[in-house]
Amino acid sequence: MEIDTAVVLAAGEGTRLRPLTRNRPKPMLPAGNRPILAHVFDALVEAGVERLLTVVGYKRDRVQDHFGPTYRGVPITYVTQHKQLGSGHALLQAQSAVDGPTLVLNGDRLIDAGTVEAVADTFSTTGDPSLAVVERQDTRRYGAVEVRDGVISDLVEKPREGDYRLINGGVYAFSAAIFDAIEETSREEGELALTDTLANLIESNRVRGVEVDGMWVDATYPWDLLTVAREVLARGRVVESARREQVWIDDSARVHNEAVVQGPVVIGPDCEVGPDAIVGPDVALGANVTVGANTVVQRSVLDADTRVDAGSTLLQTVTGQDVHLGASTVVPGGPADVQVGTRVFEDQRLGAVIADRARARGDVSFSPGSLVGPNVTLDAGVTVDGNVDEGVEVTR
Amino acid sequence: MCGIIGCVGRDDATLETLVHGLSKLEYRGYDSAGVAMANGGVDVVKTSGEIDDLRETLEGSALTGDVGIGHTRWSTHGPPTDANAHPHQDCTGDVAVVHNGIIENYQSLRDELVGAGHTFTSDTDTEVVPHLVEDALEAGVDPERAVRDAVSRLEGSYAVAVVIAGEETVYAARNDSPLVLGLGEGETFLASDVPAFRDFTDQVVYLADGEFAKLDAEGWTVTTLDGEPVEKDVDTIEWDPEETGKSGYDHYMLKEIHEQPRALRQCLRGRVDEMAGTVDIEDLGDLSPTGVQFVACGTSYHAALYGAQLFREAGIPAQAFLASEYATSVPPIGDALVVGVTQSGETADTLSALRAARKRGARTMTVTNVVGSTAARECDHAFYIRAGPEIGVAASKTFSSQQVALNLLALGMTNTGDVREIITALRELPGNVQRVLDESVAEDVAEVYEDAGAYFFIGRGYQYPVALEGALKMKEITYKHAEGFASGELKHGPLALVTENTPVFAVVTGDGEQARKTVGNVKEVEARDAPVVAISDGQSDVDRYADHVLELPETHPRAAAVLANTHLQLVSYHVANLLGRNIDKPRNLAKSVTVE
Repeated sequence: MEIDTAVVLAAGEGTRLRPLTRNRPKPMLPAGNRPILAHVFDALVEAGVERLLTVVGYKRDRVQDHFGPTYRGVPITYVTQHKQLGSGHALLQAQSAVDGPTLVLNGDRLIDAGTVEAVADTFSTTGDPSLAVVERQDTRRYGAVEVRDGVISDLVEKPREGDYRLINGGVYAFSAAIFDAIEETSREEGELALTDTLANLIESNRVRGVEVDGMWVDATYPWDLLTVAREVLARGRVVESARREQVWIDDSARVHNEAVVQGPVVIGPDCEVGPDAIVGPDVALGANVTVGANTVVQRSVLDADTRVDAGSTLLQTVTGQDVHLGASTVVPGGPADVQVGTRVFEDQRLGAVIADRARARGDVSFSPGSLVGPNVTLDAGVTVDGNVDEGVEVTR
Repeated sequence: MCGIIGCVGRDDATLETLVHGLSKLEYRGYDSAGVAMANGGVDVVKTSGEIDDLRETLEGSALTGDVGIGHTRWSTHGPPTDANAHPHQDCTGDVAVVHNGIIENYQSLRDELVGAGHTFTSDTDTEVVPHLVEDALEAGVDPERAVRDAVSRLEGSYAVAVVIAGEETVYAARNDSPLVLGLGEGETFLASDVPAFRDFTDQVVYLADGEFAKLDAEGWTVTTLDGEPVEKDVDTIEWDPEETGKSGYDHYMLKEIHEQPRALRQCLRGRVDEMAGTVDIEDLGDLSPTGVQFVACGTSYHAALYGAQLFREAGIPAQAFLASEYATSVPPIGDALVVGVTQSGETADTLSALRAARKRGARTMTVTNVVGSTAARECDHAFYIRAGPEIGVAASKTFSSQQVALNLLALGMTNTGDVREIITALRELPGNVQRVLDESVAEDVAEVYEDAGAYFFIGRGYQYPVALEGALKMKEITYKHAEGFASGELKHGPLALVTENTPVFAVVTGDGEQARKTVGNVKEVEARDAPVVAISDGQSDVDRYADHVLELPETHPRAAAVLANTHLQLVSYHVANLLGRNIDKPRNLAKSVTVE
């Protein structure tokens, strides 16, 4: 690969993933039991990138603390976008650190090295701005594109109509001329979107569309993290040691020999799993998670420092970090109608989303599809039905 | 207290390598710096100021050579001037020496050399060394022998490195000051500490006291000062050189404060088993001490005060001593285990106290961050805090890691029944520290009190050492007056200092007797119009008397001490930042103090 630099955009909150983004940006939410951004970095490092320029903004300390100054031996330079004024504006922040052609990626989507290499190679051969395009059944959530003979002929953000098959994969290769092109783009409501610049380029130049069929996974809503985890486990994209087929357990984790671990499962460092617990299938436990005796966890993502006490049942559950669920907590699982703002998503396979540092004192039940905000306290014996806002104390 | 470096075999990159290495050693001192290159003759460039000043000076010089030594200084003898900067030379200019430590018999050596016609150009103790080498050379011995002879006349502590005109060799020796060799392909390094050359190699050889090293194109040899060959083990450094970058933060200190959740995870890893309710402190064996005496300095002393409380609570008599006092007036030790708490493992006062204890037949242990450090090698046992490299001169993550490590030691060495509650609290600590980092309003508090006349910190029980540490941090990086007191002591004198311009930081956790009494002390302060900042878990009513509250999650009181300290670190950091202080390199200070 001729391009050795990548700019990774990781400054935005990802508001549709609230309440999980209370303390960290979307790229730091778990894909399995590692941040989404780690998977993006993996793809870049495996493709041979030698410099990771990471644009950080919202809760940037979380990105910096997790990754530090290098990732797998590749130096990371952090560039701060103080106000989140769009993806084009984010990329501009990295201008002074870029001195030649560069890859540009969204830090919140899981991709693989092949996609990065394909885009970089097309750029190297043609010299034209290039972007990955991905086939999707439903293109309405994304930037839809049309490609003719390898050249993008149309790009529409979140199309309401039209027969689109391909979307913008958010992996680009540009020459340094991209910065001027962004500067020349007019702001929409104060924001500079990289896709607006692309739309201009499509009209005036050739922009290459590189169709790729590697991993491309996005989380739009909190419950998507369950699908993402399943995908990550199915592809074995975990770093813990494999104990047997599809069971990965970190060497520092303690799993009682009378616990049942049913793959696909990943259990992170410092975890403790008590006797007669059942963990799996499709479960990802982050660092230092505690699963008490006789507790059942299935099709769930429990993020770092979460504790689930004895005799609990969690199905299709997403917890943020440092969530404490007392003994006999019950999350029976979906399907459910989930309400986000004024929208209702019907028939989602979701037990509950429980955000950072929520506390359930014990014997708490969650109706399917409940969304519990950060720092919520749920008194013993409470039944949660629907949404609970940040910091609320629910008593019987 | 200084940093030294030497390098052989890097051809044209030698000078750059030396300067790069010095920049990595700057935490050891930054009053003045210099380099000497052997290139047929010996050329020296040195200047007062930091490494950046040396870089500037070098730009105007034509210094070249394949073999060289360098030095960054923290003044002990003579002010930080160009003349007192190392390397020092002899009368002929053919010998250049860098030195870390204190030569105790330098005055008599200097008198003797001056009497013999030597001219001295600096106030340093070091300058006797090149003149001693010069004398030996004039007496006709070969250069290696000349260095051995010179070094054998020194008393005190030293790590020295020497280059001589016409020799493509670096000679080095140590006694009581750290020195480590780095082994690359066709190139060899020596330095006070590994980060100096970690970018080039991870293979190291630690020199012991009384050893002499010779680095040249052939490689390296280690012998005793008398020339007897010594078999040395080659160790591999585990940590990544890049762990010492700033990760997008303005200061190492803030980065290191933020690294605490990770550091504590590393400290606890594999050592606690909550299900079984046990603590495994590796291969320390069955120590079952009947008593413990801690020796430490500065921040480590505050950790030791905390550690001593933990042992006393388990029914074992334990005390913390200031190492510098202990070393010169050793108390009765009896069967006690003497534990030196030292981040670097090189703190001269602590080493000296440990040696004094060992001389009296005591068993010794160190609680340290640095594998292979002098303390780790000299003590009977070493327990590592695993905090990772700390670059900021003011200790942050290493203090909390010391607190956690001392908890593990106390639990592992004593039998106090069911310790599950404490183990749970320790396992919850990384998440709870993250919570404090996410939610602390320390920056707002710092803005309010940036101009305060002085800062006072009070606490009781586990929170008393936290109060002391809070004040030390404030002094170190803001240069402002700050004092920590046991809450109950305030009314016995210090209360006279309290005014409306002296905020009092009160650490109050739990709702027991200690909390109630500290709240009483807070009322005394409030009645005298001093602003009160409570560091509180909300269980007592201290919040009612406070102008600001830094909130802690409810947890075991032992863990609360770690969390309270995190808030206070942030307050000091933000005050210092608002005042524009040089936070990572505060004036007059150095990271590990290797002189007594």
